[in-house]
Amino acid sequence: MSSTVLTRLLRSPADIAACCREDRDTRAIALTSLIALVLGAAVFGGVIGSFRGGAQIAFAAVKIPLALVATLAVCAPAFHALAAGLGRAWPMRSIIALVLAAAGRSSLVLLALSPALWLLFDLGIDYHAAALAASMAYAIAGLAAIGILVRGLGAGPGRALTAVAFIGVFFAVGGQSSWILRPYLVRPRTEHVPFLRSREGGFADALHRSGRSAAGIYDRASAEGSGLRSLPETTRDVGEAE
Amino acid sequence: MDAHAPSIEGYFPAPPAVAGPRSGGADTVSEAAESASASVSVSVSVAMPAPPVPPVPSFTANLLADDAVFSPRREASRFGVGLGLASIYGLALGTRQGGKALFTHAAFVPAALAAVVALGVPALYIALALFDAPIDPPRAVAVAARATARTGLLLAGLAPAAALFVVSSDDARSAAGSAIVGLVVAGGIGLTRMVGELHGSMTRAPSSVRARADFAFFGFMIFAVALAARVWWAALPLLRGAR
Repeated sequence: MSSTVLTRLLRSPADIAACCREDRDTRAIALTSLIALVLGAAVFGGVIGSFRGGAQIAFAAVKIPLALVATLAVCAPAFHALAAGLGRAWPMRSIIALVLAAAGRSSLVLLALSPALWLLFDLGIDYHAAALAASMAYAIAGLAAIGILVRGLGAGPGRALTAVAFIGVFFAVGGQSSWILRPYLVRPRTEHVPFLRSREGGFADALHRSGRSAAGIYDRASAEGSGLRSLPETTRDVGEAE
Repeated sequence: MDAHAPSIEGYFPAPPAVAGPRSGGADTVSEAAESASASVSVSVSVAMPAPPVPPVPSFTANLLADDAVFSPRREASRFGVGLGLASIYGLALGTRQGGKALFTHAAFVPAALAAVVALGVPALYIALALFDAPIDPPRAVAVAARATARTGLLLAGLAPAAALFVVSSDDARSAAGSAIVGLVVAGGIGLTRMVGELHGSMTRAPSSVRARADFAFFGFMIFAVALAARVWWAALPLLRGAR
């Protein structure tokens, strides 16, 4: 792990992005970013898990880096193909280095936000406020990642479209892989916390169901059809354990 | 014309000195010769740096490169690689059901691309020729092969994400929806870039010709979308809600 690369990740995203694009120093960038990614996401996961405490700290500390790395593994070929299809036929290693650098930078931001989040939890904020605070931390970290990603695409036609395609793929894949590995944030009164929840459809299904519920339409039949025992449990699962 | 011809030493520099103990009986003549050779080598290397090695293009860049010279073999190879890459997406879709569905999907995802190229591109060329558009058959073939390669590459890149969604979605409609998104994105980018390249080949044509060619391009795009959708809908069980 190179402290120089770490500093450049934080201070000079344009320089890092140019290195990835031009296939310079990609090994050091990828390695340092991967370590930063795992470390930052694990600490952030541990803090998220500390809302309930106990085994959930370890579960979330393992699952958040896992979800992030799995998402990147699935997204990298798509990013490579989308970049090539939209006019940037770069080597795969450049794309992987760029994606890792973006994720590493965002994980460093998560690492920086973790103490503040832990302090909020310690002050006793409720479940929904905790979920909101964690989501805001994710959003800030996401902005840090986008900074490298967009710079990495460089000038030229199709830059905005490529960036939008990257973000769309990342959110779709990230949502699905995170959904598979939930729960992360669990209420303190929950007695038993599983490492993984039982399969309850996909992320898009959950969004669709939640959207209809918010509009006052409760799909009892579809909830039962998807293996859920009853509607109140459905509402509780979706609402309480994201 | 006054440029100096590079000396052969510039391209074949003297070999490095062998490391290790020197024999104590080396005579002064051989030492002088060695030192002279070294000084010549140094002066040559200073005056004539080694020519830079051009970077090797990546597989992707090579696959999508716009070649200056048309080669039927090269375009056929590019077309075949594109179809092969597209079949990876088919395999990903087949993972939901497994078994025979793997092969069905792997065969019929590229089949739609092949159908569009085989049926649509000749028709498009005829229409463009009728409108006197300045596009020759090799250009149309090359652009079509590159579009197939681009679409195949996109489908292959999206295959891991597609596999994740089709395997982890409980609802068959969600799985079909995620499969369709990949097909639409890859097909849409391939088609629009193909038409864009053909359109870009006519910058020096009269505006009336370009307007008529645009009409042909529009018809081709509708035909390509309809044909691909027809093939995929008829042949891919996943899209018809198979669990």
